[in-house]
Parts: sequence; C-alpha cells; structure tokens
Amino acid sequence: MRLWSLAAAHAGAGPVAVEHVCAAVIAATATDGAAVAVALEAAPRETIYNSNRIVSEVEELSLTLGEGPCVDALDGGLELVADLCAGRCLARWPVFAPAAVEAGVRAIFALPLQIGAIRLGVLDLYRGEPGDLERGQLLDALMLADTACALLLDAAEQDVPQVPGRVPEPAGLQHPEVHQATGMVSVQLGLSAALALIRLRAYAYTHERRLRDVARDVVARRLRFDPGDSAHGSRPDDSRSAGN
Amino acid sequence: MAETALADVLVEMADTLVDDFDVIDFLHVLTERCVQLLDVSAAGILLTDQRETLQLVAASSERTRLLELFQLQTDQGPCVDCFNTGQPVSVPDIRSAGRWPRFTAAAAEVGFVSVHALPMRLRAEVIGALNLFGVEAGALDDDKVRAGKALADVATIGLLQQRAIRHRDTLTDQLQTALNSRILIEQAKGVLAERLHLDLDQAFALLRHAARNRNRRLSEFAQAVVNGTEQIPGAPEAKSAR
Repeated sequence: MRLWSLAAAHAGAGPVAVEHVCAAVIAATATDGAAVAVALEAAPRETIYNSNRIVSEVEELSLTLGEGPCVDALDGGLELVADLCAGRCLARWPVFAPAAVEAGVRAIFALPLQIGAIRLGVLDLYRGEPGDLERGQLLDALMLADTACALLLDAAEQDVPQVPGRVPEPAGLQHPEVHQATGMVSVQLGLSAALALIRLRAYAYTHERRLRDVARDVVARRLRFDPGDSAHGSRPDDSRSAGN
Repeated sequence: MAETALADVLVEMADTLVDDFDVIDFLHVLTERCVQLLDVSAAGILLTDQRETLQLVAASSERTRLLELFQLQTDQGPCVDCFNTGQPVSVPDIRSAGRWPRFTAAAAEVGFVSVHALPMRLRAEVIGALNLFGVEAGALDDDKVRAGKALADVATIGLLQQRAIRHRDTLTDQLQTALNSRILIEQAKGVLAERLHLDLDQAFALLRHAARNRNRRLSEFAQAVVNGTEQIPGAPEAKSAR
C-alpha cells in the first residue's frame, strides 16, 4: 500500500496509470529513468512509456537491434545489469552495450511483466552511473511491476467502469484459483490466457466482486464464460449458456 | 527409517540437478519423497515472495483441499512461525495447540492431526519452509527431524541451482522464477481441466505425465499447453472420471 500511495501521489486527482507507476518506481529505486514496453499477442513490442529522451533513445535502440537486457527479460527472467561496461555485457550485447553507454546509460534493470504464461512486457529502469539495485529497491521495483501488470490488464478492457481511487487487484500467486480460472476461461472463450484474465478481472469489477471469489466460482464450475457474451459470465443453469 | 533410504533419495535428487532440470518438478518429487521417508501424509514447500507472504510452490498431492490448507498458511500457521523465527515448529497435536484457529479448523477438516514445519535456509536467510502433515498425533522422532532438515536443504539447493546455468544468480530472481513457474502450472491445470473435463489434481498428474513422456521440462511444457501450441489427448481413465 505504501508503494501504491506513492504511485497515486504521482497521479494526483486522476486515475493511476503506467506513467505514475514509473514515476513511483524511479523514486523508490533511485534510478534516472524508466520505460514500459508491451509485447502482447505476437504483436511487435512497443514502448508505451518513456520517462525521458535518453530512455526513449536506448529503448528504440534495443528494439531495433533486438539486443539488450530489455529484450532478454521478455523471455521471462530478471536482467540486473549493474554496469554495461563489464566484459560480460559487452560480450553478450556487442552492439547494444557500447551504444547505450555512448547514449549515457551505465546500468539497466529489466523486470519482466509476467503472470505465469502471460507475458505482457518489460519494465526497464535506467541509471547513468554504474551500480546495483539494493535488495529493498529491487523488491519495491518488483512490487510496482506487479502493479503495472494489473494496470495494463485493466486498461485493455473497455467495458470496465473507471472508479477513481480503485486499487487494482494484484496479479501474484496469492490466490491460485485465479490462475486456474484463467486457464479454464481461456478454453471456454477460445482466447489467450492474457485475454481470459482480462475478462475475469473485468467481470469482477463490473459485478463488484473480488477476483478470487469470481475465480473460485469458475473453478467450482458454478460460473462459465460464454463466447457470445463479452464481459459477462453465465451460470450453468442459465438457458443461454447451454450449448455454447 | 533406514539410513540407506535417505541416502538413496539424496542421490536421486542430486542426479536430477542437471542442466535442464525443472525446479517445480524437482520440488514436487522432493515432497513425494518426504511423504515416503518421513512417514507423513502430506508435504508441501512454501517459499517467500520476499514481500509479505509465503507462497506454495510444490505439494505431494494436488488435491484442492490440501492446497488450500497450505495456502492458508500464507498468513497464519506453523509455517509462518517457522519462517519468522527460522526455527522448526513441531505440533504433535494441533487440537490441543490452541493457536492458529483458522488453520486448525481447516487441517482438522482434511483429517490432519500433527503438523511440522522445517525452515529452508540460505546462510543467515530463511527463504521458505518444508511443511509436513500427519493423520495421527505425535512428534517426529530425532532421525526423521534430521532427515527432514536434510531434505529441506536439498530443496534450497535445487532452488539455487535452477538458474546458475543462465547467469541468473540472484536469490530474488530464483525465487521469482519458481513462483512464476507455479503460476504457470496453475494456468495449465486450468486449461487441461476445462478441455478434458478433469479435476485439477487429475489435470496436474496428466500435465506432469505428459511432460515426462515427451522429455520436456514441466514449466516449458505447461507454457506450451497454456499457449495452445501443445495439445494433450485425454488419458482414457481420466476421461471416464467424469
């Protein structure tokens, strides 16, 4: 909640968005810049937020070259690069590393935005000086990466009513039934896991229920999602769900 | 308990720590061996998410009620106490322990009477706990406590080993990877349960069986199942279960 408050403070009176989470994560980690890149549904990776010009240049560079920690983190692991000038970095990213250093970046920390099989993108943090993140800074960054995941998912569903001050449901492991239900709904709707989770969250918001309770109903097979009926699930005893 | 049985398990686990081993599969096998060696009814491994809570990553059985019991300990129960103090917690009879009312009620409902939690340690840090349940009252004898500690250490080694090969050597990354793999398994269980009309524990058994048959890492295979790039035809006995 401390970190959420930090993001909310950056948002002022408006709804919290990815840029506010980035501002919060820069403050929490003593970094100089942040970017969020999204790669969904086999679409080309796209940077949706850059905190400054240098970040924007380096993100662009990484995308163009298909090289760098921000690209590697998309495969699902943290990339914590304390110094791009280290021999290991130069060997691993021979074109990107020197170019990024030239642009004024020495350290990059790339955090995958993922929920199991769902890979939404990457949160990248930049520093002009070399140096590791402290443990506490990394943990704060991970927590804010979770928040960014939740915001990206919720922004994808147009039908969800905007409620100022609403804290998005976190996307972590706390409630395994949410992930089980994601898998089940993806089969029911014939959609990717990402879209299934977006639908589940939207259903919970529109029905003003907790996500875990909705998920529990899905897992217990008390609630099914019907391909013909966007954002609304149906009970098995509803006649309209029969045969779908 | 025969010392050779413990030695056999340690050798078996060490042998699986090869380049392409899967951490969730490894921890799952370890929990199964705990049940066999320590004469308990169920075993589970919970890891810290390094924020607020412990999360279940592997269990000897994927029965929903059992998983709920493990998961309940993300905020109260012997595992939390073990994790917070770094000391083993042994409760020979939870009915008379008088602590953790929600946990006690849930354990009783599944039929468990004794519960033990052993810390998973990395140097000074506690990173999780091995949780054991028995259906009869009683403490673990000294031999079993020793064996349990050895198995908790093996679990820690497995966790640390998973990414050493990929230069991903921070504890935080290793914990994150294990926790995310667990989410992946839950998603894949959901896909199979829905597609093949299975219960979730049957779905897990099928997932693991199919991954082993194809010589694939459990988490990679689960990813392919969720992405729809890998289909599993329902096993005949599984199909008739519903």
